[in-house]
Amino acid sequence: MSRVAAASPPPRSVWDSLNPVRLLGELSETRYWMYLLLLPSALLITAVVLYPTVYGFQMSFHEMRLNRPALGTGFVGLKHYARMVSDPIFWTSLVNTAAWVTSSIILEFLVGLIAALALNRNLPGTKVLAVLILIPYFLPNVVAGHMWALMLDPRLGVINDVLVRIGWLESYKAWFADPTTAMGAAIVVEVWHSFPFFTLLIMAGLKGIPADLYKAADIDGAGAFSQLRLITLPMLKTIIAAAVILRVIGLVNSPDLLLILTSGGPGRSTQVLSLYAFQTAYKDFNFGYAGALSVVMFVLLMGFAYIYIRLSKVNQD
Amino acid sequence: MAQTRSSSKLVWDIAAYAVLIVLGFLCVFPLVWTFLTSIKVEEDIVTREMVYFPTRFTFDWYVRLWNQSGYPVLVMNSLITTSVTVLICLATGSIAAYSFSRFNFAGRTQLMLGYLVVRMFPAVLMIIPLFIVMRNFGLLDSSWGLAVAYTSFLLPLFVWMLKGFFDAAPKELESAARIDGSTRIGAMFRIVVPIARNGLVATCVFVAIAAWNEYLFALMLTTSQGSRTWPVGLQLMVGEFQLPWGMLAAGGIISIIPVIVLFALVQRVMVAGITAGAVKG
Repeated sequence: MSRVAAASPPPRSVWDSLNPVRLLGELSETRYWMYLLLLPSALLITAVVLYPTVYGFQMSFHEMRLNRPALGTGFVGLKHYARMVSDPIFWTSLVNTAAWVTSSIILEFLVGLIAALALNRNLPGTKVLAVLILIPYFLPNVVAGHMWALMLDPRLGVINDVLVRIGWLESYKAWFADPTTAMGAAIVVEVWHSFPFFTLLIMAGLKGIPADLYKAADIDGAGAFSQLRLITLPMLKTIIAAAVILRVIGLVNSPDLLLILTSGGPGRSTQVLSLYAFQTAYKDFNFGYAGALSVVMFVLLMGFAYIYIRLSKVNQD
Repeated sequence: MAQTRSSSKLVWDIAAYAVLIVLGFLCVFPLVWTFLTSIKVEEDIVTREMVYFPTRFTFDWYVRLWNQSGYPVLVMNSLITTSVTVLICLATGSIAAYSFSRFNFAGRTQLMLGYLVVRMFPAVLMIIPLFIVMRNFGLLDSSWGLAVAYTSFLLPLFVWMLKGFFDAAPKELESAARIDGSTRIGAMFRIVVPIARNGLVATCVFVAIAAWNEYLFALMLTTSQGSRTWPVGLQLMVGEFQLPWGMLAAGGIISIIPVIVLFALVQRVMVAGITAGAVKG
């Protein structure tokens, strides 16, 4: 159809100048077409990401309590930030966040790396295992949380039963009710849920390493561990850095799993910053303070990302 | 020398099998156990002696979940929210991905980076203002409002992943169509979209799974049965009844069936897409 139009442009009828298909076709030939294509998504992201974020920053300097409208929404300066300094829960959450993120990341990376290295040998029959190993990553937090809560239940948990049978435990343990084990148990669930992310990315990275490197190392008599240390890990550096950044963002930002498993308890033993901010908003309706907490979290995360990227670049040189 | 090398290869192969079998078991066991729980009778769940191989089976938990807890409504709400999210991403994100993939223009790198950086913004920081804004626009507690909120973290992901698939589609066919007089938009819809069809489907599935699974936004932005999604409803049952494990297990199994089916169908393409986007990013 368009070929005919190009060969001998027919006179424009009224219908033609209103025909949306034709109008769009002509619009697509203009210089600004690529920007027009981006416009809808850019507007949407501005509306649902940028605007709320700016609003959130601004909110952190205002009084905003939904359940106490009498207080108004006046400007209170740095009040919320000042309160944070003397808020013991904030400091506990900060320490817990550090513990939660570092332990989870290290374990997820190690398990993910081992799984990827094993899968990368392309042994017969392991394709099915690869699919099984990736499944947890796609499961909802709510279901992952319930599955493990059931298995770790103090009265009918199958993990308790197994551990007692093999003699590692005297009796059933209430993993999530004991402040000394709650964080550890939650980290186990988190690692189970998210290590496949590392497996996925590392597997993709492994495919890009030329086999010649390993052949040469073989001839030089380098063992498996030196090959891992001297070839595999350096070659994977960029992808590992990207995976770590993305996972850290996820771990710091989303309180979902801890909200489902422990709600921060017992005591404050699993209270992390994102969870504290969410509960301050969701339970106490203190939006101003919740906003300030999330701003601090955001700034810390940006700082971490900046330093981490700088460091991994320095190492590359 | 050659002897020791092949024997060390054998040792590592065995180690790899051992690792994969153990990990595969650990990954699947919680699912299997939850499924077993969902078809056990109450006396076999709440028992002093752990029942590993139940001999009595029941579908009672599923029936009760479906008839008593309003689960069909929750599933329906989730379906609507998920579909709307995917549609919004398709409508706005696919053309953005196409633009990033096919054109070189001033500000392209910065814009692409911008689409990546917005993923760093804390959900909590956005949720609170979104709550206020949506309340002002009457979008609070509606499936549409929730879907719009989901695009905040899913649209950038969608664009990046789909761009990878568009990049992989050869540009020659498109040029040929252009020479034949097709407009840019014509070439896009008639040539590129059909070629990248698998990638488009996989990207949609990835976004659909994420929207289907989402918990935090739904918890904050829905307040009634009218728009509440299944993860929120399922979590609320924990408080409502005295830890109804059979029912929770049944709800979990029902809700992850679509995820597992979709994942199995497009698993290979989707995995390629996730990793391609991440490698380049």
